Amino acid sequence: MFNLSRVRLSALAAGALTACLATACGAPGESEESGSGGSGPIKIAVVNAQSGQLSSLGKWEHKGVKLAVDEWNKAGGINGRKIQLDVFDDQGDPTVGTNIARKIASQKYIAMLGTAESAVTIAMAPVLRQYEIPNIASGQSPGMVALKSPYLFLNGPTSTTYDETLAKHLVDTEKMKKVALITNNGAYGKGEHDAFAKALGDRGLKPVADEVVTIDQKDFSAQLTKIRQARPEVIFLGAEEVESGLIVKQARDLGITAPFAGAAPQGTPVFLDTAGAENAEGTIVSSPYLSNDISEDAKKFAAAYQAAFNEEAEMHGAKAYDGAQIMLTALKNSNVATGRKLADAIRAVRHQGLLGDFVYDETGVGIKATSIGVIKGGKLVKAEG
Amino acid sequence: MNLPGTLRHPRAPRLGGLAALIAAAWILPYQVGGYAIHVVNIALVFALLAIGMGLAMGIAGQINLAQVAFFGVSAYATAILTTHSGLGFWPAAALAMVASALIGLLVGIPALRMQSHYLGIVTLGLALGFINWTTNAEIAGGAEGISAIPVPPMFGIDLTSEYLYYYLEVVVFALALAFGLFVVRTGLGRRLKAMRDDPLAAGAVGAEIPLLRMTAFMLSSVFGGIAGVLYVGLIRYIAPETFNIANMFLLLAMVVIGGRQSLVGCVVGAIGLTLIREQLVDHPTVAQLGFGIVVVIMVVFAPTGLAGVPARVRAAVDRRRGRSADRAELRPFQPYEPAEQDARTTEETDAGAAAESVAPMLEVREVSKQFRGLKALDGVSVTVARGEIRGIVGPNGSGKTTLFNVISGFYKASGGRVVLDGRTVTGARPYRLSMLGVARTFQNLRLFGEMSVKDNLLVALDRSRTAASWRYVLWPVGVLRREHRLNEQADALLARFGLTEFAGAAPGSLPYGIQRRIEIARAMAGSPRLLLLDEPAAGLNGEEVRQLAEIVRSIRGSGVTVVLIEHNMGLVMSLCERVTVLAGGVVIAEGTPDEVVGDPAVIEAYLGDSAMAEMPLPTTTEVSP
Amino acid sequence: MQVFLQTLIGGLSLGAIYALVAMGFSLVYRTMGLVNFAHADVLMIGAYAASTFYMSTKLPFAVAMVLSIALTGLIGLFIERVLRPLENKDFTLMLIGTIGFGMVLQAVAVLIWGATGHAVDNPVQAAPIELFGLRVRTYDLVVLLIVAVAVVLLVGFLQRTKRGAAMQAVAMDHEAATAVGIHVGRSNAIAFAIGAGLAALAGGLVGPLLYVNPTMGGAIGIKGFAAAMLGGCGNIPGAIVGGLAIGVLDSFAAGHFQGYSELVVFLVFTVIIMIKPLGLFGEMTVSRA
Repeated sequence: MFNLSRVRLSALAAGALTACLATACGAPGESEESGSGGSGPIKIAVVNAQSGQLSSLGKWEHKGVKLAVDEWNKAGGINGRKIQLDVFDDQGDPTVGTNIARKIASQKYIAMLGTAESAVTIAMAPVLRQYEIPNIASGQSPGMVALKSPYLFLNGPTSTTYDETLAKHLVDTEKMKKVALITNNGAYGKGEHDAFAKALGDRGLKPVADEVVTIDQKDFSAQLTKIRQARPEVIFLGAEEVESGLIVKQARDLGITAPFAGAAPQGTPVFLDTAGAENAEGTIVSSPYLSNDISEDAKKFAAAYQAAFNEEAEMHGAKAYDGAQIMLTALKNSNVATGRKLADAIRAVRHQGLLGDFVYDETGVGIKATSIGVIKGGKLVKAEG
Repeated sequence: MNLPGTLRHPRAPRLGGLAALIAAAWILPYQVGGYAIHVVNIALVFALLAIGMGLAMGIAGQINLAQVAFFGVSAYATAILTTHSGLGFWPAAALAMVASALIGLLVGIPALRMQSHYLGIVTLGLALGFINWTTNAEIAGGAEGISAIPVPPMFGIDLTSEYLYYYLEVVVFALALAFGLFVVRTGLGRRLKAMRDDPLAAGAVGAEIPLLRMTAFMLSSVFGGIAGVLYVGLIRYIAPETFNIANMFLLLAMVVIGGRQSLVGCVVGAIGLTLIREQLVDHPTVAQLGFGIVVVIMVVFAPTGLAGVPARVRAAVDRRRGRSADRAELRPFQPYEPAEQDARTTEETDAGAAAESVAPMLEVREVSKQFRGLKALDGVSVTVARGEIRGIVGPNGSGKTTLFNVISGFYKASGGRVVLDGRTVTGARPYRLSMLGVARTFQNLRLFGEMSVKDNLLVALDRSRTAASWRYVLWPVGVLRREHRLNEQADALLARFGLTEFAGAAPGSLPYGIQRRIEIARAMAGSPRLLLLDEPAAGLNGEEVRQLAEIVRSIRGSGVTVVLIEHNMGLVMSLCERVTVLAGGVVIAEGTPDEVVGDPAVIEAYLGDSAMAEMPLPTTTEVSP
Repeated sequence: MQVFLQTLIGGLSLGAIYALVAMGFSLVYRTMGLVNFAHADVLMIGAYAASTFYMSTKLPFAVAMVLSIALTGLIGLFIERVLRPLENKDFTLMLIGTIGFGMVLQAVAVLIWGATGHAVDNPVQAAPIELFGLRVRTYDLVVLLIVAVAVVLLVGFLQRTKRGAAMQAVAMDHEAATAVGIHVGRSNAIAFAIGAGLAALAGGLVGPLLYVNPTMGGAIGIKGFAAAMLGGCGNIPGAIVGGLAIGVLDSFAAGHFQGYSELVVFLVFTVIIMIKPLGLFGEMTVSRA
């Protein structure tokens, strides 16, 4: 039995060898195929978590992008060419991201939208840069800007903007002096911690408590009790939706009455559900997109979103929608250019979006403002004053 | 099972197969696209990890759920050393390998004191701890990881090309696999397998269990380390997420599905699952469901994995055709050459006289053993002269096996001393005692079940130390020479015990009488001075008992002192010069067989049992306290 | 002092949950010598089942819990039935088999309930009790009470009933138990079912405290395992002590070592286990030569 299989293998190898010699062994690699440069659909990749813990974020992003692309396709595409949108699931894992980056490069996608996870985007960036694929990402970590990749753009502000606006509101407007921090040690929480601590430092304030939790932590009594003893006027929260909710819930159980303040995650329904609407009341949120009735454009977007997906639009969808609009506009302006030319076209786009007016500079950040909202009666509304 | 026909393959097709594999590996990049070669590169990294995992779990039987951490340690070390300390890629990689081997040793430390199930959780916990560290540590880049790791330089070859990187990986992989197979098929691997099959018996034949466990973890971590270095060179970015528990379980699935006891099986599993996962990349939940179900099916129906399928099919076919090892025949035992000088001492049956001239072979002084309030042995003293055959008898539960366990180092005595040939050995580990010349058999047979009969003997024949394993790396020729010598010795031993025709058989498939003989042969492989036989006649028929008596006499004749526990009084009466009777953990009588049988205390101890000579053979194992 | 006590209370409240996990784990271990890695995922299924019955079908919390325990008990029976051919033969293979089951259960949960999970309303609406500046959640007290009742019932079952005595016998020596006519397979099945039920109890109780999602088992499960080992595997009172100890250790480590708490917890655990390999109350098992 063994001998037989060996003979067969040898034969196979011999055959393969001849085949190889017949094609005159050159350097290994792919033969150059024509990409989507000329005709056929324009291939754009959406990379986001579609499975796992972070999939809700990924699904919102995908819906926002799809809404924009569908609108453009309905209007006849770009230069008569349809836009082909394909979703890739990064599972929120940076390594999977690096695989996908190579995959979309080898499958000749000319542009990429996403991801919502800064760590994944950072992991993918070198590969995308190597293959010259422009990417409009949805994360907010300043780490992405630090890469200085000419192919990487953000569809929203960075944590620095979120937290600077928040600090300005809390310290300058509300005149709060005693601020406590509780953040997690994940990519998002760490970025928020550093950005907010710096914004406080700029105002000459030191946090009265600065507690770090792990991503998997379940019981926060030790850290929250320390915060309670420091008697802060406000507690800055840097963690993803679910963990933020748990922290707020446990804080209220421990008798902490000070309001919480944070950025994007604290404006989501998942946060509200986990914390309980009552506990989350009064949470101060720094967000570039507070609600669907913030402007006429937003109302229109929200209505279209509702019609297409039968659910209420929220910030991540709006950001992704803006990002897709910018990408498509750049493609149109550049006559479906690729690589560096497309990147330059994105940088040249001036877009009035749902989040505000996008003007890109060499950092890849197009918008540098957020607004302050407060959770009232289970809804995020614009803060007065 | 190796039947004589399939035992040796002609050399030519083997080389042909190898050449075919090399050719296939060489032309592969010419056949696949840019992304496909990336997937292949990833698959090779997983294959290396799986080999390491297979070595620890399949070969050495140590549950290791920290393999991703070993992988991570070397990947992170390379990344940190290149980006922070500005080291070149290869020096960093070398240091990273050292780091991962050290971590392997460190994780192996708990293995010294723990049962293997506990080890699963401890290793998993340590892996989680590692992820936690990388997530926090500034130097490890936190959750965002480390990017911009330099491309490994290679004499001007541009390794950013995944095609060229593939060749680097294939070469490293082939070398690593060859080394792994080399280890598995020679002395160290045999000893690891023996530890897996039966750590107690392995210790009794001289395997240094603690050191071997550490070695298993270190081997595992070295393969993890190689994988880590290659991974970093390939992806040039790392983040904690890559080393998470889900990937650990995926790796486990690869190893189990491929066949954990075969390194080639592990490789097949790793490459297969990586490719399947790639196909199902848009349906990760389905993939997870599928892998989980296959793992469950595999452990229940094909515990040896895919690698074991050919052997199982062959066995099934053989069974249908009515072919089996039945044709093999047990040959008669060929007696040992009587030893001159020892023949003299055997004439002196008076132990007291012998003790004056030379130290007795074994002296047990006032030994006690206590198990939570229960005194299994209470001040037992036994002196066995050089070249004697001593019988130890007593009712069930009288402490006979406990005494053996104390003498052979399995139990630590609560009090008293054990002196071997004038040297105090109380509390020495079984492998130390084995080195000092103590060998034993077990009441309920403890052969290494998943190894061939010949390998069972080879484990015991190999008296080299585990610490001498450095030769695997620095002087492989020495290892091979030694193997050659051991093989000759094993063949001679098989011939002496009439077992030649069973050399390739699995012990479990053989009749009970033959297994008993194999166990004695294994005990004798270590050329002991003192042989402890625990109920060697249990389950044997009349003719086999007769052969046993002949073997024991010949062994004694060659100068080995023999102590045996036996219920078969006929055998004891005919074989032993002196008999010690234990009851309730104390010696109640000692003397020649005739004296002892007539002793009223002995008769009383056996009251309730039928007459001693008609003692029924024990059907169940003696209940240890 | 206040921080110390409040941290202690926090640790104990989660420790009670770990104790329940450890108890189920220990029960299976002592009866059949198996480290059941699917335990954590059975807990997750229990949490999902309880919260779904409670929130979607609007059943009272207690009824939802009972249904969920019954359901996971069946899952436990199923797992035991599938792995039965390996019982008392190869524990390593069984352990790997349970890991396989864990993977399956997680995937099934994702397919049924989705990947993102949901929050669970607290069934006990009463405000926290305040004592000398310390606050204790009423729900925690309810949890502690339920855990105590579960312990009493389990110990009573093992010591006072014929079935329980049979299980004890199997735990001590399955060969001897077979010899006196005890059905070992059935005994193992019951142990597995009760273990699964305890996991579901823990999962159901932890739901309103935390958040229910397909990967919730991992973090709770491994600490539950650690608790069982700390208390001495197979020792029921040890499991309780171990659970509370891990909870408190976890809580204090979080306070002192912040982000590094997990690393510290596992290192401390490993060191303790190395010093006392059989746990704090472990029974010496004699390996038979």
